[in-house]
Amino acid sequence: MTATARRKPLLSRVPADFVRAVLKGHSSLGLAFAAIIYLVCLTGSIAVFAHEFQRWEAADAPRLTTISPDAVQRALEAAIARVGGGVEHAYINLPTPDLRQASISVEKDHVQHGWIFDAAGNLVAPGDAPFSEFLTRLHINLHIPGSWGIFIVGLTGVALLSSLISGLLAHPRIFRDAFHLRLGGSRRLQEADLHNRIGIWALPFHVVVSLTGALLGLTTVIVSVLGMALFQGDTAKVYALFIPQAPKDDPRPAPIIDLRPMFPVVDRMAPGGRTDLILLEHPAEMGGAAMFNVQREDTRLANYDAYAFDRAGKLYHSARSSENNLGERILGAIGKLHFGWFGGGMVKIAYALLGLGLTYLAAGGVTIWLARRRDKRNPAPGLERLWAATIWSQPVALATTAFTTAALGGMVSKQALIVTWAAVTMVILFSALRIEAAVLSLWLKRASGLLLIVAALVHVLRFLPDDPVVWSVDIGLLACGGVLLWLARGATVQPVPAHAA
Amino acid sequence: MITLAACLLMLAGGALGAWALRRAWRSPPEKGAGYRALGWAAIIVTLVWPSFLLGDTRGPFIALAIVSVAVLFVVATGATVRVAKTGKSGRAGRASDSLAPEPLDRPTTRWRNILRWLLAGPIGMIAAMAVGICYAVWVPGEAQTRLLIGGLIVPVVWGGAMAWTLADNRIVRATAVLVGTALTGFVLAILKGFA
Repeated sequence: MTATARRKPLLSRVPADFVRAVLKGHSSLGLAFAAIIYLVCLTGSIAVFAHEFQRWEAADAPRLTTISPDAVQRALEAAIARVGGGVEHAYINLPTPDLRQASISVEKDHVQHGWIFDAAGNLVAPGDAPFSEFLTRLHINLHIPGSWGIFIVGLTGVALLSSLISGLLAHPRIFRDAFHLRLGGSRRLQEADLHNRIGIWALPFHVVVSLTGALLGLTTVIVSVLGMALFQGDTAKVYALFIPQAPKDDPRPAPIIDLRPMFPVVDRMAPGGRTDLILLEHPAEMGGAAMFNVQREDTRLANYDAYAFDRAGKLYHSARSSENNLGERILGAIGKLHFGWFGGGMVKIAYALLGLGLTYLAAGGVTIWLARRRDKRNPAPGLERLWAATIWSQPVALATTAFTTAALGGMVSKQALIVTWAAVTMVILFSALRIEAAVLSLWLKRASGLLLIVAALVHVLRFLPDDPVVWSVDIGLLACGGVLLWLARGATVQPVPAHAA
Repeated sequence: MITLAACLLMLAGGALGAWALRRAWRSPPEKGAGYRALGWAAIIVTLVWPSFLLGDTRGPFIALAIVSVAVLFVVATGATVRVAKTGKSGRAGRASDSLAPEPLDRPTTRWRNILRWLLAGPIGMIAAMAVGICYAVWVPGEAQTRLLIGGLIVPVVWGGAMAWTLADNRIVRATAVLVGTALTGFVLAILKGFA
């Protein structure tokens, strides 16, 4: 080896053919998954604020910081009475700093019915949050029924992780270009700089969200294969390692389970803890049970204790988070790390910004590929139009659903929002058949910006909210709308070169 | 409030680290060593001290997110804006501007393509599951820990296999390795069983 070769940085010594082969794989994978990665990342970036959007949707609901056991019991009895008994499960969400409201959801015949309740336990408003539900489910399973949707999203996480690996390997100039950000000149160079700088400097975040997302999405498949290979197909044995067993099933009718004596026991077991969620199994049967999820105010990522009682109030299961083993700690941390729900508002904002950066990676990868084709005098104007429509249809479609929610409030359902989102997306995708990419991008930026601003204004006028978090959501919508309009203002529709037409 | 103040400090630490690294990057190699050391030191310290204040795992994960934002902000402030190139002149010389390698243009057939995607998809997934389950079965420790780490191995191995099979020109080698891994992993796992 010569002295010159020894002085070269390690990454510069990677053979060029290897880099080009990895780049080929990176490019193929990116093109195959770009649209779905884009959608999952965009909705994930917004879903970081799912709790804030829940407050935004129910801006007139009573704001609570604590609630009494009597009120919780009254709400449970009222909710069961509303559906006429026969409840299989109930979920009671108690106020938290993120979501200062109390709600109850009961499940009967596999249908959920939910209400928000006040400090006295009266059911005062529907508990649905259709926009938040629509948004988070779009991120989690693309609204595809069964396990398929969540598997596809898990597969997307794997593809993203794979793209990160191949992107790193295909980037021998990682240190030499570490701070290059050349905007405005060649489109391809600008997009490549943005793609590489965001990809490298936010790499830990990208790895964390793609790995946790992949694991969350693939859990069902992994557990099924594990069950088949090692437990004679019995996946329940796998889940039983993590979830407390319910008491023996006893379907004989019984008075509604009394939660009140359980609260003091929980207070004694977890002093200083805050009960966030109570899960009830068959609350009006002899085999009824209640499990309290209690957040401990400490600095651990996985800081939820679980205490389960039978209907007589006897504690039959307790799991203190401080005694968790490594696996249980990882399990308790995965969801928080994925959604950014572990460090307050600043971390949420950081997650949203970095998530948008990841979204840009997915979008920019295809833009680089299209620009490369143009450079090689082999442009693909049809694909350019389709990609512009794909990218900008989503802000418009999501902004339309936000506007619909703000304007119609409780009169809109999650299903209506899915139909609205799908219809807007399809119309815009079909418009790509006729409209040039630059024109399409320009008008879709304007449309999404205006829709977000109007959604915020309509919401403010309708609710005149007194919750500062609701105000911050409205201001956030206004700011996002303003940014989109500003982006549109800076854009110009360039004449199409004669040979590309 | 403590978390908010800590986040602001992390932002400052990350920005300081990135600024120093950029100074080193812009300097001639023989002059940038001090700034390079300062930059990495600032970033490492910013990733470590939150573990004492905000939790041993929670603190560093908060720092990872906040420092990334700070560094990207510094990168953005150093952006150079060029005159937009349009039309024919804009296209000329773009490839040489970037000096970026071009993806390999390899000859292929439809069947090789199908096999390549099968390897990247279902076969890679099965091989990754075999590795994950084999880990869960053979490595000592608490059952939950083995299962969770085995579960985390699955997407990592599958993602690696995907990157490899889509890049490797020797597709038969990739097929042999993935099929062999899957068979070996499942046989070893089933032989021992989960205890």
